[in-house]
Amino acid sequence: MTSSIFMHPATMFIIGALLLPLAKVCRIQKLWLVLIPLVAFIQIHYLPESFGHVEWLGFDLQFGRVDQLTTVFLHVFTLMALIGSIFGLHVKESGQHAAAWLYVAGSLGTTLAGDYLTVFIFWELMAFASVFLVWYRRRTKSIEAGFRYLLVHTFGGLVLLGGIFLHYQNGHDLSFVAISPDSATLAQYIIMVGFMLNAAVPPIHAWLPDAYPEATVIGAVFMCAFTTKTAVYVLARGFAGFEALMILGAIMTLYGVFYAVIENDARRILAYHIVSQVGYMVCGIGIGTEMAVNGAAAHAYAHILYKALLFMGVGSVLEMTGRSKLSELGGLYKYLPFTMICTVIGGIAISGFPLTSGFISKSMIIAAAGEEHQIIIMLMLALAAVGTFLSVGIKLPYFIFFGPNDCGLKPKEAYWNMKVGMSMAAFMCIFLGIFPDYLYNMLPYAVHWHPYTAHHLAETFYLLGFTGFAFYLMVKYLRPHDVSNLDLDWFYRRGAGWFMWFARHPVSATNEWVSNVYKNVGLRLTMALAKALSWFDWEGIDWALDGSARGVVKGGEQVRQFQTGKLQHYIGAAVALLFIVLIVVVLI
Amino acid sequence: MIVNFLTYLRERPVFLKWLLVSFLAFSGVYDLFVDRHHAEFWGDHLVGFWAVFGFLGCMGMIVFCKGLSHVWLERGTDHYDK
Repeated sequence: MTSSIFMHPATMFIIGALLLPLAKVCRIQKLWLVLIPLVAFIQIHYLPESFGHVEWLGFDLQFGRVDQLTTVFLHVFTLMALIGSIFGLHVKESGQHAAAWLYVAGSLGTTLAGDYLTVFIFWELMAFASVFLVWYRRRTKSIEAGFRYLLVHTFGGLVLLGGIFLHYQNGHDLSFVAISPDSATLAQYIIMVGFMLNAAVPPIHAWLPDAYPEATVIGAVFMCAFTTKTAVYVLARGFAGFEALMILGAIMTLYGVFYAVIENDARRILAYHIVSQVGYMVCGIGIGTEMAVNGAAAHAYAHILYKALLFMGVGSVLEMTGRSKLSELGGLYKYLPFTMICTVIGGIAISGFPLTSGFISKSMIIAAAGEEHQIIIMLMLALAAVGTFLSVGIKLPYFIFFGPNDCGLKPKEAYWNMKVGMSMAAFMCIFLGIFPDYLYNMLPYAVHWHPYTAHHLAETFYLLGFTGFAFYLMVKYLRPHDVSNLDLDWFYRRGAGWFMWFARHPVSATNEWVSNVYKNVGLRLTMALAKALSWFDWEGIDWALDGSARGVVKGGEQVRQFQTGKLQHYIGAAVALLFIVLIVVVLI
Repeated sequence: MIVNFLTYLRERPVFLKWLLVSFLAFSGVYDLFVDRHHAEFWGDHLVGFWAVFGFLGCMGMIVFCKGLSHVWLERGTDHYDK
């Protein structure tokens, strides 16, 4: 058992994270940062189907369960850990890397877990490790956003735990297996809601665009890959075929993209766009057919790489210029050409250009919706694809690197390690587009889908071309402004403000009034009562006690008069008393 | 090199416009020759359906989102600090 825990890739990242400070002291931090994810990436290919069984408090825990669905996620998670670690090599702070690796460990642990309790343990590790990636930015806004992130995830974790308890109460079985929509009860739906919070399904999505833009540069690169995609994995594992997920997923695709069209901060645009892209995966899981679940897994794989590439591109701009708002950027292609090319590759991949990874993954989900005759869902997904190209494919690179205005900055190009990280992700985006079978062979079910058909290409040319044409006509209306947009986090951010106002004003005023009443009335009453009690004590109790004491002394003194000490007096008195008693008895 | 090439293109917006128009024309011509016998969705049988969908969808999205932002959602960046 012990040895099988050590073959768990999460163990590798946890030990790696704990030894990072030592690696820093020994001046091998950079080597260590590449070595651990690289070994984990190789190691996941040699995992047995089942390992790490632990009997604990009567529960049967399973730390390792490997099948086709697990493999595709493990593959991309470890690859992303490698790319992210290389991208962050220049960061000397071991704490940031350690938080990132513990976060990765949480994600890998959840993916490999065979029971709900293990899922929950690693689920919480993810939340508590990732919040440090926000806090490490050390700005007041980041600290605040981190606390909100943590509170929301703690709430989500408790919902999940509540669902797990109910589930256990019903069947005394914690194994994490597929649930049929027909047999699902309240317990399973509560678990699903717990998972949906991490997948950022509206209306419980606002933590994502709130926290991710406030994270550190490398923090955002890691965060965009793991939390939501781990949630996609657990939903695919447990809740495939739930119609609610199909509908919510389709709504997500549009909700996220609408905000991406109007936002100004580049990293907030990308964060909202995660909601949109994860919507495709949630929708695919909800459709539940083999092709749709394949599409969800493929899209998760592709999405992690191109979204990380975009976060790396925008993160490089932030690192080198200190800015991330589109309204403060423009004309940077002259100074950051490499970053620009990589960001554009990420942009065209996410938009689903032919020969990129988005083309071969997104189309599977849209086609699966069509095959199931879900025409409205299919059109919603197609419309979100239009919005994706508009917001992330064109608007984002255009206003950062080109744009109507030159921001006047002359930054240096990104560091070498950032370029290596971006190159690896960009390579994968194009590699998967050209050789889709590399990804298709990893998917949970056999793939019968061919993305490069004439009909699909024609549809893509039209959608991309005419979206570009509409952008060309409307570009002046899309010019970014330095504003923020309300979202559903308004409820808890304003709600918290109201709560504080309620505490500071009505509650505090009532408290003060009660204090005054006590001081003016209560205190005087208490003093009067104390005086009365004191008088009673003095005049009543003391009088009674002192009086009885004096009586006892006096009585004693009088009794002492009778005590002559002569025996004949006592005998005489006793005999006299006896006679009196006898006379009384006889007479009566 | 790439910087010079992009600067060269930026200075020629008319050329870029014609490039876009040519691509649109190409996608229209390409669509005419596509086999659509296997298509299940009714829109797939119409020539130019996805062109109209993309164009109107994009225009509508810009008008809807920017309009909604302008009349309702837009706030100052320090909105929650007040």
